[in-house]
Amino acid sequence: MRLLPSIYASRNLGRSPLRLLLSVLGSAMVVLLVLAAGGFVRGMTSSLHSSADPHNIMIVGIGSEESLERSEIPASVASLLAASAPGPPPPPASPFAPPEAHAQPPAPPHPPDPPNRLTLVRGVTPTALLVHTQAQIIEGRFPRPGHDEILAGRLAHTRIGVPPAALAVGNTLQIEGRAWTISGRLAAPNSVMDSELWMPLTDLKEATKRTTDSCAVATLQDAELADAQTFCRQRLDLEIAALSESAYYSKLAAFFGPVRAVAWVTAGLIALGGVFGGLNIMYAAFASRTRELGMLQCLGYRRGAIVVSMMQESCLATAAGSLLAAALALLFLDGLAVQFSMGAFGLRIDSSILLLGLGAGLLLGLVGALPPAIRCLRLPITESLKSV
Amino acid sequence: MALIECRSLSRTYRRGPETITPLDSLDLDVESGDFLALMGPSGSGKTTLLNLIAGIDRPTAGSLHIGGVDVGSLSRARLADWRSGAVGYIFQLYNLVPVLTAYENVELPLLLQRLSSRQRHERVAAALSLVGIADRADHYPRQLSGGQEQRVAIARAIVADPAIIVADEPTGDLDKASAAAIMDLLKRLNQEVGKTLIMVTHDPGCAEHAARTLHLDKGRLVEHALTH
Repeated sequence: MRLLPSIYASRNLGRSPLRLLLSVLGSAMVVLLVLAAGGFVRGMTSSLHSSADPHNIMIVGIGSEESLERSEIPASVASLLAASAPGPPPPPASPFAPPEAHAQPPAPPHPPDPPNRLTLVRGVTPTALLVHTQAQIIEGRFPRPGHDEILAGRLAHTRIGVPPAALAVGNTLQIEGRAWTISGRLAAPNSVMDSELWMPLTDLKEATKRTTDSCAVATLQDAELADAQTFCRQRLDLEIAALSESAYYSKLAAFFGPVRAVAWVTAGLIALGGVFGGLNIMYAAFASRTRELGMLQCLGYRRGAIVVSMMQESCLATAAGSLLAAALALLFLDGLAVQFSMGAFGLRIDSSILLLGLGAGLLLGLVGALPPAIRCLRLPITESLKSV
Repeated sequence: MALIECRSLSRTYRRGPETITPLDSLDLDVESGDFLALMGPSGSGKTTLLNLIAGIDRPTAGSLHIGGVDVGSLSRARLADWRSGAVGYIFQLYNLVPVLTAYENVELPLLLQRLSSRQRHERVAAALSLVGIADRADHYPRQLSGGQEQRVAIARAIVADPAIIVADEPTGDLDKASAAAIMDLLKRLNQEVGKTLIMVTHDPGCAEHAARTLHLDKGRLVEHALTH
C-alpha cells in the first residue's frame, strides 16, 4: 500500500492553529496527568522500598508487625539482642541494635491550617545512623539528649505543612507542648525518613511519657533472620517478633496498593475524557476536508493509506503535547513532595514513567484519530466529492 | 475493440422507499483518442456516467469494460490501483490540496507508482510545463488564480499518463477567458497528446471543443451528435 507523503500529515496540522493548539494542550494535559499518576505511584513505591535496608531486621512487639507506632517492646530488648543474638556483631563503640521509638504527635499548628496534621517523630540513638545507612546529616549536628533538640528531614516541612525555611537549623518547633530547637537537617533520599523528625530516644520517651521502645533495628552480617526469630521465640517473656525491614515495608507498600490503584483509575478516567475530547477535535478536522479525502481516493489512494496519514497527523499533535507534558513534568513534578500517612515522598518522573507518558500520548493520538478517520472515509467517494 | 465499452449500463440508488435510476441501460463505445462531451439537464445521469467510467462508482447492472478490464468486478482496493494508472480526474472546483504546493499536488498521483524521485521530478516538470504553469510550481493553491489552479489540476490529471481523462464541468467555476484557455488546453491534450477525454458540461460553447456530444435525459441517451 502506497502512503501519502508525510508532509501532507505535518502541514495539515497548520490548517487550523486553534485546533492544533487545542490538540497539543489537550494531549499535554492528559499525558501530564498520566505522568503525575505514574510519578505518584513510582515515588510512593520507591519511597517504601528504599526505606528498607535488605540487611536489616526489626524487633517489634508481637501483633504489631504492621505498625511501628502501635509496637511496644521493653527497653531492655536492644541490649539483649546485641548481646544474645549470634548474628549482629557489636560495633566498636555501641550496641549494634539501636532501639527506636516511633510517635505521631500532632504537628505544630500553623494558622490558617487547622491543627489536625500529625508529624512523624522517631526517637533514636546516634547509632541509628549506622543501621539506617540511607540517612545522613546534611547540615548541623545530631541532637543532644536532654537539650530539647531535634533533626528535621528534608521533606518534614511537607508533612508538617510549613514552608521549608521554617525548618532551618536554629529554628524551634512546638511538639507535645515543648519547644524543640532544630539542631540539624537529615537527608534520606527516596525514603520515608526524609520526612521525619528525629530526636533523642530518651527525650521522646520523656515527652510522650512512655517507658517502652517501639522497635530495635539490627544489621545482619553473618547471621540470618531465622537467628533473630529464634531469639524472639526463646524470649517469650519479652513478647517480641522479628521481621526483615524489607518485609515490613513490603507490607506497607501492599497496604497502600488501593491508593495507587485509585491514582491510576483517576488518571485513566480523565484520559478517557481526553480521548473523547480528542475524538471531537479530530472529527472536526477530518470532516472539514471530506471532499479532499474523496479526491485522494479518486487519485488512487486507498482508504488505509489515508487513515494512516490521518493517524500520523493526530500522533504528531499528541507527540508535541506529550513532549510538552514531559518537559513540564520534569520541571515541576519531578521531586515534588507529597504527604501521605507514612510521611512524605517526592514524585518520581524517571525514564520508565516518561516512556509510559509518551506511550499514552501516542495511544491518545491513535485512538483519537481512528474512529473519526473511519467515519469520514465511510462515505462513498461520489458523496465525498459533493461535500462542501 | 473500443477503449470504453458500456453495455446496458445502469446505476440505481435507493432513497427510502424510492428507487432512483440516474443511468438506465446505456450502451456506449468510446474509442481511444476520442473527445466526448456529455450534456443534459441536472439529474440526467451525465455525472453518474462519468463517475462510473472514472471507477469511483459501480454499476448496478450491465457491464463496463475499460481497456479490456471489467471495472465493475474489481475489488475496492484493486479499483483504487486501477484508477491510479488508468484515469485522470479533473474537477469543477479543482480540489487541490491547499497545504501542498502546485508541484507537490501534481506529484501526488506519481507517489502511487514505482518511480525514482528523479523520474517523478521529470514527469511533474513536464506536466507543469505542458499546462503552462511551470513558473508557479512552488506556489500554494491560495496564491494562484482559478484558471491557474485548474491548470495545476489538469497537470495532476495527466502526470501519471492515464489513458482516459474525465472532467466534470472543468470550466464551471472560471471566467470566460480562463474557461476558453482551459478548453484550448484540453483540446491540445486530446489532439496533440492523444488523450481520451470525457467531459461533462452545461456549456454548449465548451462542448463544441469535443469531437462528439452525447445528450442524456433521465438516464438515457437522447441524442448523439458529431461536433466535427
